[in-house]
Amino acid sequence: MGATVKPVRGLAGQGGLGWIELTWQADSYHPLVDHFAVYGSTERDFQPGPANLITKTVYTRHRHNNLGPTSQTWYYRVVTVDAAGNASRATNAVRAASTDSVTVSGRPVAVIGQFDRKSLELALAPNGYAQYPTRFPQDADYTHGVSTPGADWPYLHPGPADKWAGSKAHTFRFRFTLPAQPTGDLALAVWLIDTHASNPGTLDVSCNDTAVAAVALEKGATKGSLQGDATAPGNPLRPSIVELTLPRAALRAGENVLTLGKATGSWHAYDALGVFEPRR
Amino acid sequence: MIDLPSRRTFLGLTGVSAAALVLGTGAPANAQTPGGDNVPADPFQLGVASGDPEPTSVVLWTRLAPQPLAEDGHGGMPRRDIDVYYEVAEDERFSRVVRRGRAVASPELAHSVHPEVDGLRPGREYFYRFRAGGEISPVGRTRTAPAARDRVDRLTFALASCQAWYHGHFTAHRHLAADQPDLVFFLGDYIYEYAITASNLWRQGVQVGGAHAVEVKTLEQYRLRYALTKTDPHLKAAHATAPWVSTWDDHEVQNNYADAHSEYGVSPEDFERQRAVAYRAYYEHLPLRRTSLPQGPDMRLYRRLGWGRLADVNVLDTRQYRDAPPTDSTAGGEHTNPARSILGTEQERWLTNNLRRSDATWTMLAQQVVMAQIDRDTGPGTTFSMDMWDGFTANRDRVFDAVRRYGVENFVVLSGDIHRSVAADLKADFTDPDSATIGSELVVSSVGSDGDGAPTDSYAPIWLGNPHVKLYDARRGYVHCTLTPERLTADFKVVDHIQRDDQAPVSTVARFVTEAGRPGLNREA
Repeated sequence: MGATVKPVRGLAGQGGLGWIELTWQADSYHPLVDHFAVYGSTERDFQPGPANLITKTVYTRHRHNNLGPTSQTWYYRVVTVDAAGNASRATNAVRAASTDSVTVSGRPVAVIGQFDRKSLELALAPNGYAQYPTRFPQDADYTHGVSTPGADWPYLHPGPADKWAGSKAHTFRFRFTLPAQPTGDLALAVWLIDTHASNPGTLDVSCNDTAVAAVALEKGATKGSLQGDATAPGNPLRPSIVELTLPRAALRAGENVLTLGKATGSWHAYDALGVFEPRR
Repeated sequence: MIDLPSRRTFLGLTGVSAAALVLGTGAPANAQTPGGDNVPADPFQLGVASGDPEPTSVVLWTRLAPQPLAEDGHGGMPRRDIDVYYEVAEDERFSRVVRRGRAVASPELAHSVHPEVDGLRPGREYFYRFRAGGEISPVGRTRTAPAARDRVDRLTFALASCQAWYHGHFTAHRHLAADQPDLVFFLGDYIYEYAITASNLWRQGVQVGGAHAVEVKTLEQYRLRYALTKTDPHLKAAHATAPWVSTWDDHEVQNNYADAHSEYGVSPEDFERQRAVAYRAYYEHLPLRRTSLPQGPDMRLYRRLGWGRLADVNVLDTRQYRDAPPTDSTAGGEHTNPARSILGTEQERWLTNNLRRSDATWTMLAQQVVMAQIDRDTGPGTTFSMDMWDGFTANRDRVFDAVRRYGVENFVVLSGDIHRSVAADLKADFTDPDSATIGSELVVSSVGSDGDGAPTDSYAPIWLGNPHVKLYDARRGYVHCTLTPERLTADFKVVDHIQRDDQAPVSTVARFVTEAGRPGLNREA
């Protein structure tokens, strides 16, 4: 007790899609750290204050979320506050940028729903999951240009941990047509408004029977089964984004079938999904 | 609450006894803290408490907080040390004061003080109060333990646990305090870390601001959650009426944590940082001795309480040292691994030694999670909750082996966690109802968690499907026990509602008697 409060060391930022992950090092015990106050701004020369406080945390990392689909550049400073309420000086500002989503930079090929942080335009949204077993006994099978989001693509994709959906694996199909095999890879964007908090499971993606990826989904807030607007003030939802490459070799002229399988874990809640041609 | 004594007596205090305890500053006991008498008005809003009685000493507690819900967690106190004076008397008018002293309340410990008062007489009632500046605290009643070899005719004690403030009023504490037990055992989940929002704020007649609508992780947030919990007047009354012997469960840190393992994807290094601030806040708000002052992410909470020749109580910590949950949930799988421990090596060795040396009539464990085996499959299958002792079957077997090996005749386990009133026999072989009964377990319901509740619910068939379970009730409540050399009488108390107000009357849903020398529960009402 009584030791001077030192600022954190090694503050750094790593950008991703819609987020910037900040990390640092600190001695949390001498004196005991109450919290690290993380301040951020899009202005390089900002001064830390209540208006630009992003979070208070005891951890040595923080993910600055909900930065949207377009790349953003931010500057961050961290202040350490100890158990007695004493504050360190702020660190120097560190710069980091999030990345562009293919939904912004690419050309849409086939899309279900709107990438708007809401599930509301999808079937059964925002809380009708109990009807899933009767409305979708064979799971979703969606044909681009024929099906409609509000009738044919449920907002919630159950997993085997969900008793209400039969405690079994569930596979959704997304059919879309290409006039010719593309000259390069395409991209699949799957935006989620929420996932299960402790057991989000894995999303298995295949394209025309070629396995593309098995994505361990991020943990959410287990609220997306009951509410569908992640832009509402104070909402508890925890959105996440999956964007991955569809290899040219797995694609073909005519009908292509994407399968999204959930063979582990509990549900995830869609915002929108789509196939895009990336900017070359 | 007890009437306030004369202000003049206490305000007239000048000198400080040589027994004064200064905690947290290292200042000599006879030197006053500069500026330490300049105290904001009404600083005792979080009440007073005492705990961990020994034959000649007890620890007292208060925390100065003139604005208990100040969002920085410092209770509206200035960032400097404050002198807090205390006195202990044989009568509630303070005409026979036996000890006076001073402790320093410092911002590092959120202006909490934990003076340990020595030189008291064994087995008797005392009254205590604090003064800071010109402000005098409410009066608390406490009690020392009988001397180690004394014969004790009677001990009354209450069990309580699980205080989700937002789920309802602490009506159970109102009735518990009115009983005026000699001791209170608090068996975990003193606070809950969850965000308080419109969806879980079932306690009617209150409002909370946005600072409470976040999951608790920082020290200022933990301090704020303890302060919010302690604004309940009945909790304060329960603290003021008897010494508490407290242990924690998971929600004082995070749901279902195990040692440095969080089930929410936090690295062990970062989770220990959270544990450190959670443990600090726990220490700051409970009447605990210096031996429990946390060191970084570690805090010694397991300890022994003796009550003459009547009872030995081992207070356990089944959270801080436990192995991570098994990776499979299969009955007979990893949870039966002999290497698994819910106590950790050192605590298990300590407990085994205590069981070997115990020569009191009754030997009790005051702890968190249910110890009896509970098969949660009402059909032919078998499933277990891995968060309870069922997740650590070899550790339970080793404890039971020690109980039998050392001839511990009257073995009683006190538990909480499940928000239900449950009573169970502890069996040598839980799969064989005819096997020997080696003790009994009293599981106290919650004070607040789960709201109003009902006499029965959908979990009743699970619990009552286990033949050694003798009671299941899903209302809020507490347990009042009377212990004599001949028998333990446990009255399970319940209230019918807690959400709309704190006016529900109390009733006794069941009374169990265990005769000394004859293990097992006998239902009398």
